[in-house]
Amino acid sequence: MPREAEPSLNERAFVVQALQEGLRLDGRAFDQFRGLDLKFGDHYGVADVTLGKTRVLANVSAEVTAPYIDRPFDGIFTITTELSPMASPAFEVNRPTETEVLLSRLLEKTVRRSNALDTESLCLIAGQKCWSIRVDLHVLSHDGNLIDGSCLAVVAALRHFRRPDTSIEGETLTVYTPAEREPVPLSWLHSPFCITFSFYGEEGEIMLLDATLLEEQLRVSSCIISLNKHGEICQIAKLGGTPVEAVSLIQCASAALTKGKELSTLLDQKLAEDSKRRDKGGLLAELSAENER
Amino acid sequence: MPLDTSTYDLALLRVDGRRWNELRRLDGQIRTQAAADGSSYLEMGNTKVMCVVSGPSEDKRRGQTSASTATGSNAADVAVSVVVAGFSSVDRKKRGRGDKRIQELQTTISKALASNLHTHLYPRSTISISLNVLSQDGSLLAALINASTLALIDAGIPMTDYLVACTAGSTSSYAANDDRADPLVDLNNQEEQELPFLTMATLGATDKVAVLVCESRVQVSRLEGMMAAAADACKGVRDFLDQVIREKGHKMVTEGTIEKGASMAIEIDA
Repeated sequence: MPREAEPSLNERAFVVQALQEGLRLDGRAFDQFRGLDLKFGDHYGVADVTLGKTRVLANVSAEVTAPYIDRPFDGIFTITTELSPMASPAFEVNRPTETEVLLSRLLEKTVRRSNALDTESLCLIAGQKCWSIRVDLHVLSHDGNLIDGSCLAVVAALRHFRRPDTSIEGETLTVYTPAEREPVPLSWLHSPFCITFSFYGEEGEIMLLDATLLEEQLRVSSCIISLNKHGEICQIAKLGGTPVEAVSLIQCASAALTKGKELSTLLDQKLAEDSKRRDKGGLLAELSAENER
Repeated sequence: MPLDTSTYDLALLRVDGRRWNELRRLDGQIRTQAAADGSSYLEMGNTKVMCVVSGPSEDKRRGQTSASTATGSNAADVAVSVVVAGFSSVDRKKRGRGDKRIQELQTTISKALASNLHTHLYPRSTISISLNVLSQDGSLLAALINASTLALIDAGIPMTDYLVACTAGSTSSYAANDDRADPLVDLNNQEEQELPFLTMATLGATDKVAVLVCESRVQVSRLEGMMAAAADACKGVRDFLDQVIREKGHKMVTEGTIEKGASMAIEIDA
């Protein structure tokens, strides 16, 4: 099983010493993110997040299928993650590493279990037909903080996505092509964001945001907090590692809230820019079947 | 789903008749398996788990199911495997080996213990912990952590302090913004289904948090109260685990299984 190359003793000592003196290798402040860029693709539902050298691509697709027997009124919503050897030599195809398992569990808890997407709205004919929404997440380049980047990419892609419009008349279900009717956005309830904190030092007293791969390898423990802009925590995961004072975890939660609001504003702004770009000559309003009520 | 914890407001009593800060009945035993290096059995209410520790032993190829901390060769690996018995909950659910929820549990326990144990004393070796869940009624992760702490003490592996865990919830749901919400400790399955809750593991009686897992939607403002309640409950659990160990030690000395060491700091005659 290939492993990520471990940092040498010198590197280890240097980074930790620098952190204790209040410096990061790339000169950022402890609570500063790397350059964050979010791009949408030509199609609906493609989001590309770049965070420093980390790059993640999320793609959303929809198809009509039969719902699960035990949940006849709910649509299907799945998130699949793929960490290919392209991102890092430590990843192998078809053999999920610990990173991958934790990442997919985290997205599952943050986006799916917190009911960010209203799955009931995906139901077409109860017990027979529903939409199946699938998010494929590809990690293109791994330089630390995969979780924050992935979560942003998934949420952005889902909010950007438009599914084909449908109508039911009597027993017949019609799915319209984009040419016939403008596709409709998903019924989205709230946007959760993940913020990862990395701890350093004997007692975990140094706290970093957006750690790079090297910093991630050297951290003594980490805490991932997911929340939305309304201040609702969707998930907290401090899975072991050096024990940290309870007070500093509460500080983390309030720092995460500030950061979450920033990410939320950024996403709203990017989505608005994108819809403006697509809305050539203000035709979209006319094409839409929805009306203001 | 058809549960009702909303009656809590009327008498301040929970579904099973406890107050907000009361733990369920705890029952623990150590050295339950004679052949193992360390073993324990723990009941937290109706959650029942069993733990067997073997090692530290020579490093060998680990199975794929066990999560372990790859810390390089100069410290012992802690390999944890959790097996949930089919009969442990009401509906018999078949869980595959690659169940991500179980894998996450394993990783959490393994990482939490690795930072607490003095693994550097056993280079190039493995401490393997196998946990069996016999019955589930909420606070599963907490029970697993407590049981492994007991078994590791039985195995005589040096550690910084007891790693103790407990859950805490909040009586109001995420939607309701009422300030009167009380924290609750040591939730059972019924309460876990309905209320937002978190699992917290602390190092002994200190406020240092090794594990903090929350999987439900809850207001940020509610976090502090829940964590404080969980920390208090952890102290209670620590006292209980300590008592289990002391009683067993006392019994072994009186039975003559072991001799009372001259350097023994603990007063066991009490």
